[in-house]
Amino acid sequence: MAVQWSTEQFFAEYKDLQASAMGVDCVGQWALLAGRKALALVNLNNTDNVIKVARKSKWEISCVQWNPHASHAPIFVTASNQRLDVYTWRDGTAEHKCNLKAHSRTVSDVDWSPFDVNIVASCSVDTFSYLWDIREPKKPIASFQTVAGAYQVKWNKVTNNQFATTHEGDLRIWDPRKGNMPLTYIAAHLSKIHGLDWSPSSQDHLVTASQDCSVRIWNWKNHQRSEGMISLKDVPVWRARYTPFGEGLVTGVVPQLRRGENSLYLWSLENHNQPVHAFMGHKDVVLDFQWRKQSPDEVDYQLVTWSRDQSLRIWRIDSALQKLCGHHVAVADNDTSTQQTSLLTSRLPEDLSKSNTSLIEEQMATSFNTNMGTQQLQSLINEFSLINSNIPNVTIEGMDAVYRKCLVKAVSGKRSVILNLTFPAGYPNGEAPVFQFSETSLDPSMEKKILKVLKDTSLKHVQRNMVCLEPCLRNLISSLDSLTLEERRTPDSEVPFDLTSTTAVQAKSFNSKRFRTSYGNFQDSNIPFPRTSGASFCSAGYLVVYGRPADLKKSSADVTPKALSDMVVYNQVHRMKAPQPQTPYVAMFSCSPPPATQMMEYPCTISNFYTYKEKRQRTRSRSKHIKDVPDIPRRESNNVKSTKSKPKVGFVRVYDASNLLPIHRQLAEKYILDVNDVSNMCSANANAASAVGRKDLVQLWSLAAAMYVKTNDSHSREMFLESPWALCSLGRPLLESLLDHYCKIQDIQTVAMLCCMFWTRETIAKPKRSISKTSMDYSPANTDVGINYMYLGSSADSGWNILPMVKGRRSNSWSDSYDDFRIFEEEIEQGVDQEQLQYEKDSKMLNPDKAGLYDQYKIAYANILYKWGLINQSALIMKFISFPVQPERNCDFLIKCSSCNQTTETPQCTNNHIALKCSICRTGVRGASNFCLACGHGGHTKHILDWFEKETECPTGCGCNCLSKNPMIFGW
Amino acid sequence: MVSVLNTIDTAHEDMVHDAQLDYYGTKLATCSSDRSIKVFDVRNGQQTLISDLTGHEGPVWQLAWAHPMFGSTLASCGYDRKVIIWKETNGTWAKLYEYSNHDSSVNSVAFAPHEFGLLLACGSSDGTISILSSTGDGTWDSKKINNAHSIGCNAVSWAPAVTPNALFDTGNRPPTVKRIVSGGCDNLVKIWREEDGQWIEEQKLEGHSDWVRDVAWAPSIGLPKSIIATCSQDCRVIIWTNDGTSNTWSSKVLQKFNDVVWHVSWSITGNILAVSGGDNKVSLWKESTEGQWVCISDVNKGQGQISEGQRTLQ
Repeated sequence: MAVQWSTEQFFAEYKDLQASAMGVDCVGQWALLAGRKALALVNLNNTDNVIKVARKSKWEISCVQWNPHASHAPIFVTASNQRLDVYTWRDGTAEHKCNLKAHSRTVSDVDWSPFDVNIVASCSVDTFSYLWDIREPKKPIASFQTVAGAYQVKWNKVTNNQFATTHEGDLRIWDPRKGNMPLTYIAAHLSKIHGLDWSPSSQDHLVTASQDCSVRIWNWKNHQRSEGMISLKDVPVWRARYTPFGEGLVTGVVPQLRRGENSLYLWSLENHNQPVHAFMGHKDVVLDFQWRKQSPDEVDYQLVTWSRDQSLRIWRIDSALQKLCGHHVAVADNDTSTQQTSLLTSRLPEDLSKSNTSLIEEQMATSFNTNMGTQQLQSLINEFSLINSNIPNVTIEGMDAVYRKCLVKAVSGKRSVILNLTFPAGYPNGEAPVFQFSETSLDPSMEKKILKVLKDTSLKHVQRNMVCLEPCLRNLISSLDSLTLEERRTPDSEVPFDLTSTTAVQAKSFNSKRFRTSYGNFQDSNIPFPRTSGASFCSAGYLVVYGRPADLKKSSADVTPKALSDMVVYNQVHRMKAPQPQTPYVAMFSCSPPPATQMMEYPCTISNFYTYKEKRQRTRSRSKHIKDVPDIPRRESNNVKSTKSKPKVGFVRVYDASNLLPIHRQLAEKYILDVNDVSNMCSANANAASAVGRKDLVQLWSLAAAMYVKTNDSHSREMFLESPWALCSLGRPLLESLLDHYCKIQDIQTVAMLCCMFWTRETIAKPKRSISKTSMDYSPANTDVGINYMYLGSSADSGWNILPMVKGRRSNSWSDSYDDFRIFEEEIEQGVDQEQLQYEKDSKMLNPDKAGLYDQYKIAYANILYKWGLINQSALIMKFISFPVQPERNCDFLIKCSSCNQTTETPQCTNNHIALKCSICRTGVRGASNFCLACGHGGHTKHILDWFEKETECPTGCGCNCLSKNPMIFGW
Repeated sequence: MVSVLNTIDTAHEDMVHDAQLDYYGTKLATCSSDRSIKVFDVRNGQQTLISDLTGHEGPVWQLAWAHPMFGSTLASCGYDRKVIIWKETNGTWAKLYEYSNHDSSVNSVAFAPHEFGLLLACGSSDGTISILSSTGDGTWDSKKINNAHSIGCNAVSWAPAVTPNALFDTGNRPPTVKRIVSGGCDNLVKIWREEDGQWIEEQKLEGHSDWVRDVAWAPSIGLPKSIIATCSQDCRVIIWTNDGTSNTWSSKVLQKFNDVVWHVSWSITGNILAVSGGDNKVSLWKESTEGQWVCISDVNKGQGQISEGQRTLQ
């Protein structure tokens, strides 16, 4: 599934602040934007309320943090160069409480203890990490030294007396009570770690974000290897933070790099492959992001972000999004494996300060109390319900937790396997599932290899009492892929275009597409601004017009934006004027339908570009400004009502534009086409033309009548004495100039009618083809279609082979192909009187050399008639086509010569061998023959019929059961 | 001269981006920013909603009806990078096929002339053009013209299926060549030709000074002449003509409009061109016998403002 994305719910730009750090207080009311010149406090509930506290320093503020305890919410700490400053924010002023100086180089990070209101940890590249008690600011209460400089310091959010620091690619976990000796040392990444965060729910879990473009999830008690890794391809990760709800992460990219990739991604810990959501809109990298709730009882969280584009944005995380991170999914987890528990269970939202270890213990206790059998059933049900069914090329055909079975199909290239998994009762506690292939197209050696991989994978997991279905399936497809890779690389003659295995194509594109599926990124910068009005000619003579309501006007400059992305800019500019939290730009673009209420609330999107013109000021002379300004308060006051009451969608109108066309439906209905009674036909048609007011056509038809009579006369016996009528100036030249004229005015109706009227059937009576005597005309294979040859017979010594040539074409029935065995008359006798031929040609009103063009006219007109629903008239015109389109054929037969192995269409190959050889009498077949479509063997009809009177198998002994395979041919 | 036959209130919740009648003019399909496609029965002036097709995850930009020999089939494309082919079977509309192999918004879809089979061209902002073909057994093949327009393809249109200089004999008539014209953000109009199953660039038409927004190959009435209309962000409409014998295309600027021109559409006989753009207006153009293009009408689409008296327009 594609990644969802959204844009912010709120946007504000504070260009003058030049803030480098941002923090949100624990109550969620104030955001602190700290820059070199000033500290600015933005009231997030009323963002107009910005209070600036001037600051005189030549140093940037590297980081800020608010006290996480609600009782001391107004206290915050800032780090600038080597020192920390503690402020109290009260009554609109920031009172400087104390400064903390001990570091000898720039402080890189600060963190308040979540358990002690007075304790702050700080770290610096000077290799020291300090703990401070803000009541005793003179010197740190504890110091921890390492060899390498420290970049991040973060307290454990669940257990007291534990914090972590990062040093380049390493991670250290400390207990302040144990002095200058880390509890653990983890070599976490190969490059510098930029971001660190502890899990809000599990005491042992933390996450690191690194320059090496990956995010790793750690259980520090078991730090041999990370528990999970999210790879962001080639984008270094700046921050990775747990979500306060469910099991999610938000990642941001490194500010130093201008890559155009400024989105934050929301990940569910259950899926490390693809983010579940993207937050798009920042024009530059996001410097920091924090969580907030508008009020404690509100369900929705908000993500507050500050970017180097100097804009503050607030993104709403509604319950649907939270659900994506596993929040509110009430799955009772009875899995005994604690690791699984921590990764898969969803938990209720908790206050950050409250430990939830007790909750886990409770869960564990209950799970042990339950009956062992139901517990295992439950755990299997859980596993089945939680399995990610989006593994590429793997489809889960069936799962049954009661019978403890699972049926899976995996496809790679043209290989496919169906795997049966049976889960023993002890699974997953030490007992691995049983794997069995029920249907495979693999070699036995491949099968063996895959089974081994599966066994290894499953054992590895169940030995640690972990479930293994998903890892097994992933390994199944990856080993299948690697085994068939070689095969797929070599061109396959049977599959001319590798699209038969679309699944394989998808698999290839799957990985590369992972990050491209987020909308609104750089690939989407050139999407044209969509049409909001248009007119299309449809069918025959209709004009469909759609557009905006007349009173909906373009609200900005005179020129319509070029790209859709230009409108984002427009929207942002306008939102600045309207301080009320406004609509996220194109929230409707997001994947999952937003709840209906939200739709009502945010009538946004492209229509935002257009605003309603105030009725009172219709005078156009007013400047744009005046037009716009009164509009905004109105939108503010009753955003919902104004847009609801006025539709932003205009009507779609269907116009009858047939009068604009040079052709007339009425004429099409009335026109007669009867070459046997031309005078009557012409007068009737002239009447019809006068009825629709086409005076020129009235004239034309009487003229045509006159011309036609003459053509009949010209068939006199004295053909060689005078030149035919058609060649005189009132004959063919006149007709051609008439056709030219009507072509020019695109009156295809008249052109086609004239072509039909003056058409002479003789033109096609004798196809000028040099064909040897009485040959069967197998029309040559249609070259524009891919042809799959199917070589059905191969035993060369046992008779002749028929090669049915199956065309990849939809179409008619079998019988068509037999119709095409056309026997042509013998070649027109040698020494044909050229003169006579020329005369016949000349006596035609329409130049036979242009017959193809005239056919085109007729076909074009017939198509129009068809569109009008006049199918009889259409068919009548089509009768006058000189070269009827041959019915498409599904199946042609090629014969492989029994003597020289050449393929031929005729009974004789080019070497004059008789190509067909009877399998019974072993002589060449000239007359009637029958053959088996399956094995390609056969022979003289009589011989074959005799044979199959008693036998059912092929006379050649090839083992083919011809009779059952061709009941239509041999059965009677 | 042009009279309103039907006024349809689509009840879309957001901007309508395309509206198309089917082959017979009995069904109207509309698509919108509200992510839905609606199909109406518009026979005899009625407007009955037949189906509300949801499946796109973003605004739907364009629609195309297939020839009725393939059944009631509709293709749609949108911002969500998807192309969806819908089909009606026994009165119910359902998704027949979904193609999501584009990396950006798909801006244009067009079915090929029916002579070529069920074939769909899709132009995307990722710069590529996809050609999807139904193999007839429910699966679809796709071919891609990569980097057709460097920063995005905005429109595609098929050439009519006309046999090149129609020959005289059934036997050696050459197969009809498939051609596509496309327009993109590189300000170019390109003509593509299929040769041995591969699509190759046949012609590059330079004339616009900004993004090409729409291209339309005029229907053929049999003459070997080819006509293409293109419109652009540069507010101009250009008519390109080729005499069918050489490779040269001559261009003629129809007019410079006051606003972006979004859409050009040919009438069935190719004698009238409808032009519409950002100013919410439609104009109809006709080539005079002297070869000049003249505006024959100016329909102000003040939707909902056209009163009974204004129902006929010229």
